[in-house]
Amino acid sequence: MKKDRKILKQMATLSIASMLTVSLAACMDSSSPQESATTTEDGKTVITMGRVTAANSKLPEGDTYENNAYTRLVEEKLNAKIVNQFEAEGEDYDRQVALAIASSELPDMMRVNSKDELKELVENDLIADLTEVYEQHASDYIKEVYESYDGRSLADATFDDRLMAVPATVGANAPNMVWIRQDWIEELELTLDDDGDSLITLEELEQTAKAFVENDPGDTGNPVGIPFAHWLNAGDYGGSALTMSSLAGVFNAHPRHYVKDENGNIVYGSTTEGMKQSLGVLNEWFNNGILDPQFGTRTWDDIMALLTNGQTGIVTGPWHIPDWGLSAVREMDKNAEFVAYTLKGENGKANVYHENPTGQFIVVRKDYEHPELAIKILNLFYDEIGNATDLEADYPEIAKYSELGVDGSTRPFNIEVYKATSTLDDFSDLIVPAVNGDISIDDITKAGIKTDAKTILEYIEDPENAETSAWSKYHSRMKGIGLIEKLTNEGTFNWTTPVYYGTTPTMEKKGANLLKLEEEDFIKIVTGTEPLDYFDRFVSNWKKQGGDEIIAEIETELAEQQ
Amino acid sequence: MVENNRISARIGRIVIYTIVISLGLVCLLPLWNIVAISFSSSEAVTANAVGLIPVNFTTETYKLIMEDTQFWRSFGISVQRVFLSLLINMVLIVLMAYPLSKSKRVFKGRNIYMNLLIFSMLFNGGMIPTFLVVKNLEMLNTIWSLVLPGAVQVFSIILIMNFFVGVPKSLEEAAIMDGANPLQILLKVYIPISLPALATVALFSIVGNWNDFFSGLIYMTKVSNYPLMTYIQSLSISIEEMLKSGASANSLENMMQVSNKNLNAAKIVVSIIPLLVIYPMLQKYFIHGIVVGSVKE
Amino acid sequence: MSVQTAKTANLENAETMKQKKKWLTTNSMYHLMMLPGMIFLLIFSYIPMFGIIMAFQDYIPAKGMLGSKFVGLEHFIYMFQLPDIGQVFKNTMVIAFGKILLGTFAAIVFSILLNEIRVKFLKKSIQTVVYLPHFLSWVVLAAVVINMFSLDGTVNQMLTFLGLEKLNFLGSNSLFQPLLIGTDVWKEFGFNSIVYLAAITAVDPGQHEAASIDGANWWRRVWHITLPSMLPIILLLAILSLPNILNAGFDQVYNLYTPMVYESGDILDTYVYRIGLLGREYSFGTAVGIFKSIIGMILIISANEMAKKYTDRKLF
Repeated sequence: MKKDRKILKQMATLSIASMLTVSLAACMDSSSPQESATTTEDGKTVITMGRVTAANSKLPEGDTYENNAYTRLVEEKLNAKIVNQFEAEGEDYDRQVALAIASSELPDMMRVNSKDELKELVENDLIADLTEVYEQHASDYIKEVYESYDGRSLADATFDDRLMAVPATVGANAPNMVWIRQDWIEELELTLDDDGDSLITLEELEQTAKAFVENDPGDTGNPVGIPFAHWLNAGDYGGSALTMSSLAGVFNAHPRHYVKDENGNIVYGSTTEGMKQSLGVLNEWFNNGILDPQFGTRTWDDIMALLTNGQTGIVTGPWHIPDWGLSAVREMDKNAEFVAYTLKGENGKANVYHENPTGQFIVVRKDYEHPELAIKILNLFYDEIGNATDLEADYPEIAKYSELGVDGSTRPFNIEVYKATSTLDDFSDLIVPAVNGDISIDDITKAGIKTDAKTILEYIEDPENAETSAWSKYHSRMKGIGLIEKLTNEGTFNWTTPVYYGTTPTMEKKGANLLKLEEEDFIKIVTGTEPLDYFDRFVSNWKKQGGDEIIAEIETELAEQQ
Repeated sequence: MVENNRISARIGRIVIYTIVISLGLVCLLPLWNIVAISFSSSEAVTANAVGLIPVNFTTETYKLIMEDTQFWRSFGISVQRVFLSLLINMVLIVLMAYPLSKSKRVFKGRNIYMNLLIFSMLFNGGMIPTFLVVKNLEMLNTIWSLVLPGAVQVFSIILIMNFFVGVPKSLEEAAIMDGANPLQILLKVYIPISLPALATVALFSIVGNWNDFFSGLIYMTKVSNYPLMTYIQSLSISIEEMLKSGASANSLENMMQVSNKNLNAAKIVVSIIPLLVIYPMLQKYFIHGIVVGSVKE
Repeated sequence: MSVQTAKTANLENAETMKQKKKWLTTNSMYHLMMLPGMIFLLIFSYIPMFGIIMAFQDYIPAKGMLGSKFVGLEHFIYMFQLPDIGQVFKNTMVIAFGKILLGTFAAIVFSILLNEIRVKFLKKSIQTVVYLPHFLSWVVLAAVVINMFSLDGTVNQMLTFLGLEKLNFLGSNSLFQPLLIGTDVWKEFGFNSIVYLAAITAVDPGQHEAASIDGANWWRRVWHITLPSMLPIILLLAILSLPNILNAGFDQVYNLYTPMVYESGDILDTYVYRIGLLGREYSFGTAVGIFKSIIGMILIISANEMAKKYTDRKLF
């Protein structure tokens, strides 16, 4: 009896174990080809998407990322319904993508934030080849847009002669400008930029900073020198607020970028002689009290507070910093006004670099039945809508969104696709004439530009009582873009093109540490914790800890592309 | 001699009281500071001017919260989750603690079950496999992904099991004589006696579920489905992050308009109110429960 | 005679049959009661365990677990060669041990001091306040900590006021671990003191009276009576907290750390999350996870054995 019992028990255990193994395979295996609901009940094609959202979408009541004027437009014009598989921003978005890949259930279309992610998707054969559908369906204007970048855009998304993604474009935002309190300059009767070319020398900047610190025009009792973010440098101009990019440019140094030196060798901009000199200048400023004494420990919020309080009146940043960074100053002080300059290099020009023309990518999953819809959406938003002559009449809902300032992330593709010179063109061709009265505002067909021109005129008519947003727009366009226009027209830009924008394997592994080394060592040099010659040790450490490997890898990659 | 003792005793007393009160303050004041921030104006908060008293007192932040549909949706999801979890947790706890409290002789296989439970506490498949299981059961973006994976609270089961072991056998025997089956015994005898311990375990379940933010991060693909703590966690995007990720000027502009320290402080305050309400009510229970569970022998 | 024995035998048999039947149904009821929970356990704890196969493969999601290449211990070997792992493991140990030691010490000291408070109202209110942080989530407390310890936060404002230099608690590798440990102790010392307080009050007051009469001052009484009486509990709780060593506190670290302090703040769980999930190195991440679980198991089993040996209670 007992023996039988035992055997029974064993058999039971065995059968349960085998049932488990079978059910496990079923439960966790997701390698079967992905099926998705392809049509809704009323015959519309379904597109599942991964969306990158933003913190404050300003969508009107009732509209969501899945159901708004833009998605409704897609439904109407392309007979396709967008269903969001996930919506997130920043790191959250990366996590959603990772989870989607892990469960091998990619949305039909999604944004990918870097070329490396794109490479990984291509290598794992997860996304669709878009070469044909692009050829067939892309509008002429779209093709022009991509061509305006000398073919670099599409090249970035092409692997083995196959176009694997829709690239986003990044217009040039150069240079990194120095924004100075105009009202203080006038109050202290300083003179800057005698020759009127909008380039100021280091000495002029130093004298201005000194005057500000000594005279405390903000009347705070605690004036502070020029503030910089502790990371000191950024990889592009759009994100260059509070960086030393302009200063590095004086010595034709381009930190964070890989460029060719006089001998044709590839060097990392942050390790060049010009970089050392610019750090030397910062150290001098630190010792002379015209640099923020708490540089290195002050946070972003701290620095913004300094500006808002009136403790400091000089700050570096891109042309659009007035829109989001300087507006608080105006709120606190109705008299605040800024002027934008850029630093004059040793060669008498503004030394700038070409930014990476490609930003993010939109990919289509491998076996999706309607890849052409991606190109059609591209056409719809970046050609049809972008070039619409009468937005209010033809696309009233979207015109309303423009007025409300609804965030661009609410569009199906959260990317920009503009011609390389579009910011400048819109400024020179539309805004300036409208402000000067040469054309009427109503002649401007692009809704966004129209609003901008209107607001700027509002400010000009009554500076004191104008809204902060009008003040901001005036500054970012007339002063910011205005400076870019001037430098372009007068030929005072000196462009360098970096040789490489991507990420090599060693960059992935050791990049974070190298950046940390750079940030920390630079802070030490600027604050005098280490003497200037410590820079040479930084360079050799950088090379040893991975820099040499990276440069070798870049050289190999470039050679392969020949 | 005695005088000296008295004086030193008095000094000692003062020192002790000071230390204890300071410790109490150290726990209270940082939280109080957040409350003060929530009632202060944005400018004051950006200038770091707020201490324990609101500067430029305003209820603007709370008004904004009232209108924030997502905040209340997440709040509701958390409430729903806590409720469902509490139900499932408690039922499973008592159902499992009772048989496990029987000796091996009475309950054949008791040790096997126990080992299975313990092993599951020590070893797990990891984030990805669990995610895959949840996904394949089609629970993503549903309330069940927040409730079911945590249905079996082994630690609490062990706690209650130990408590049950301490219940006098006589009570059980009496019930058996009356012909009660195990379920009835559980319901009529064990549960009424273990209320303090059960309250403790219930509190653990409520607090744990209310405070968990990670499940929401993994199992919900849209902010609209986030439970409250996950939602609050997602608010902390720094501008440094945005700059480095190449956000457009427009997005930066929009973000600056809502990144208010005081608004976030207010959201935090509202999110802990439910706990603050429950906590004092259950305080005497859980103190009793913990004491009994550990010191009693 | 035989008829009688037969009859009693029958009766006895009947009794045993009844007992057996009853026992059977009771036993089956027990199994039935275990069933629902075990099903959940099976689905959400045991089935995912099979996922550890990924650690031995070059897992590619598109190919699934049945289709990915088997690579044996490759990931484990790689893991042991990575300098990162050593650092992460060290961080986990240091942070966890720091929390346990300092936390226990703080809770004990606090319970002893609290016990001396005679003013009931004060005692009760202090208790309510210090138990509170334990019940708040780290999402909430991280905001509090950042508010206190950031470069422009309260603590640094006080330092500046006293003429001292600012300290970069959240951004410096030398200060981040102490910050983690300190704030966790702050969060838990109150709640942890409950048990110790109970042990203290359980001591027969007669002992204290006798010692007073013999001339022992407060400190002596604490050292010779109070502390020894708490020893069993202290030991038990210390042993019980060992299994948690490898869980140095994901919630806390995740909400407080930034790339600047990965070096000192990265613990096993955050490392696995970042590299294994966000970094999409699924196989490697699983391997590290397994490593952690195995060490955790060894610790728990040793803890249980120690509890059995040195005290009269055990975990299981």
